[in-house]
Amino acid sequence: MTSTSSSLKPIIEARDVDKHFGAFHALKKVNATFYEGQVTAIIGPSGSGKSTFLRTLNRLETHDTGSIKVDGIELNDDLKNLDAIRREVGMVFQSFNLFSHLSILRNVALAPIRVRKMSKEAAEAKALALLERVGLKNQAEKYPVQLSGGQQQRVAIARALAMDPKVLLFDEPTSALDPEMVNEVLAVMRELAHTGITMLVVTHEMGFAREVADRLIFFDHGTILEDSSPAEFFSNPKHDRAKAFLTQVRHGF
Amino acid sequence: MNWTKQHPGLAMFAAMIGLLLFLWGMAVPLSWAPDPIGQAAQQFAEGTRMTVLLTLISGSAGVVLGVLAGLGKLSSVPPLRWISEFYVWLIRGTPLLLQILFVWLAVPTLLPDSMQISDFACAAIALALNIGAYNAECVRAGILAVPHGQVEAARALGLSPFQTFVDITLPQSMRVALPALANNLASLVKDSSLAYAISVVELTMVGYRVQAESYQPIPVFVTIAVIYLILTTAFTSLTAALESQLDVGRKR
Ligand SMILES: Nc1ncnc2c1ncn2[C@@H]1O[C@H](COP(=O)(O)OP(=O)(O)OP(=O)(O)O)[C@@H](O)[C@H]1O
Ligand SMILES: [Mg+2]
Repeated sequence: MTSTSSSLKPIIEARDVDKHFGAFHALKKVNATFYEGQVTAIIGPSGSGKSTFLRTLNRLETHDTGSIKVDGIELNDDLKNLDAIRREVGMVFQSFNLFSHLSILRNVALAPIRVRKMSKEAAEAKALALLERVGLKNQAEKYPVQLSGGQQQRVAIARALAMDPKVLLFDEPTSALDPEMVNEVLAVMRELAHTGITMLVVTHEMGFAREVADRLIFFDHGTILEDSSPAEFFSNPKHDRAKAFLTQVRHGF
Repeated sequence: MNWTKQHPGLAMFAAMIGLLLFLWGMAVPLSWAPDPIGQAAQQFAEGTRMTVLLTLISGSAGVVLGVLAGLGKLSSVPPLRWISEFYVWLIRGTPLLLQILFVWLAVPTLLPDSMQISDFACAAIALALNIGAYNAECVRAGILAVPHGQVEAARALGLSPFQTFVDITLPQSMRVALPALANNLASLVKDSSLAYAISVVELTMVGYRVQAESYQPIPVFVTIAVIYLILTTAFTSLTAALESQLDVGRKR
């Protein structure tokens, strides 16, 4: 699979996306097109704008100028468009953000009931099936605090999947986890990657990026510095900043 | 109170039943007491019922006012914010007794003659306005205590701002706000005694009358104090039970 194969259908098109936080220029005319079924790893130094970019794609952050289209729908102040897009784009957060007052089952079933207007029975049956898929069916009646970090993140993935999104955004899904829990989450993500869902994964897990991603984007100072395949990036980074970053990563931080 | 922590549902139920039994049957044991208490048992029972009624009515209205004003203070619409802030500032900066007297003396002059309200209603309105202002602070603090990530997760799933508020923000804010609200309710039991100033025949007024007739203030006021203690203890165990009920999903 090549990253820019023209036979693939574009699902996210970001054009000249610019974003400031006050005087700070967080995104500088970022251009990128993501295709259906593609798994993209987004890496880069801390503060380079990876999270900001991901969060503009479902408008948790608004962009100042430029345009973002998701599945052909323009992302702007139009609330109808925003609702339509958020139904198609799921997000998994570094800090899980499970609803702490709801049971695991309810966490997963809530959005299908409220947003897709599914019946409670259908939504809970679906939630149970998804929990089984991430290996947590037997935890359905518990509350988020009763689960380990790795388990919580798997629930968060199930919760996002319950809306049948076309795109899943991951913002450092394993960074808040104890080392022994990282793999159980990566295993779920690896399995997902083979189902044809589009994934954008901000990560520091270079092994995962190399093994699972179709495409690798290197962010630096609010711009995309390199956009290539993982194999090419890891064996032959073009920019000095990317080389420096890789050296640092290889030595562990 | 460890017992209420372990069995919150039971404790809540027990407090409610206890309160009802107490109100219902209070005249009986009191009538066995020596005079001047025994002969006034019926008056004590009625005064207690009045106090509880006043507390429950103004307490419920005060919760509604508190939620509205608390939301108003956080509103992005400036006039709503100003109105809410002015209301809280006004009520918290003036004595409750003055507020009661104001509603009793000033409001009737503003209303047409056909719409005059009872002393009891005046007291209930003044108490509701008063506790509402204090509740507003609790509600606001509760909403501010909800982590932003919870709202982001709901919005990212496609829930509307209104659904996010009803399903996520409001229930989670109650974990912080409800114990404080229930505490306010327990103080309201005592604050309602100020209604005696506008001749509402609640518990304190009954005590005042009975001691005036019997010339025995000590046994009368001790009885009144014990009744207040029983009421506030019932409300406080309710609060404690509520608190541990809301701990679901927070602590292990
Ligand atoms: N809400 C905000 N207000 C002000 N500045 C912000 C805000 N969010 C992010 N920034 C700034 O924008 C820059 C990019 O932040 P971003 O979170 O996108 O970085 P990142 O690449 O995800 O970094 P990390 O690897 O540490 O998560 C940072 O310098 C950050 O301080
Ligand atoms: Mg980040």
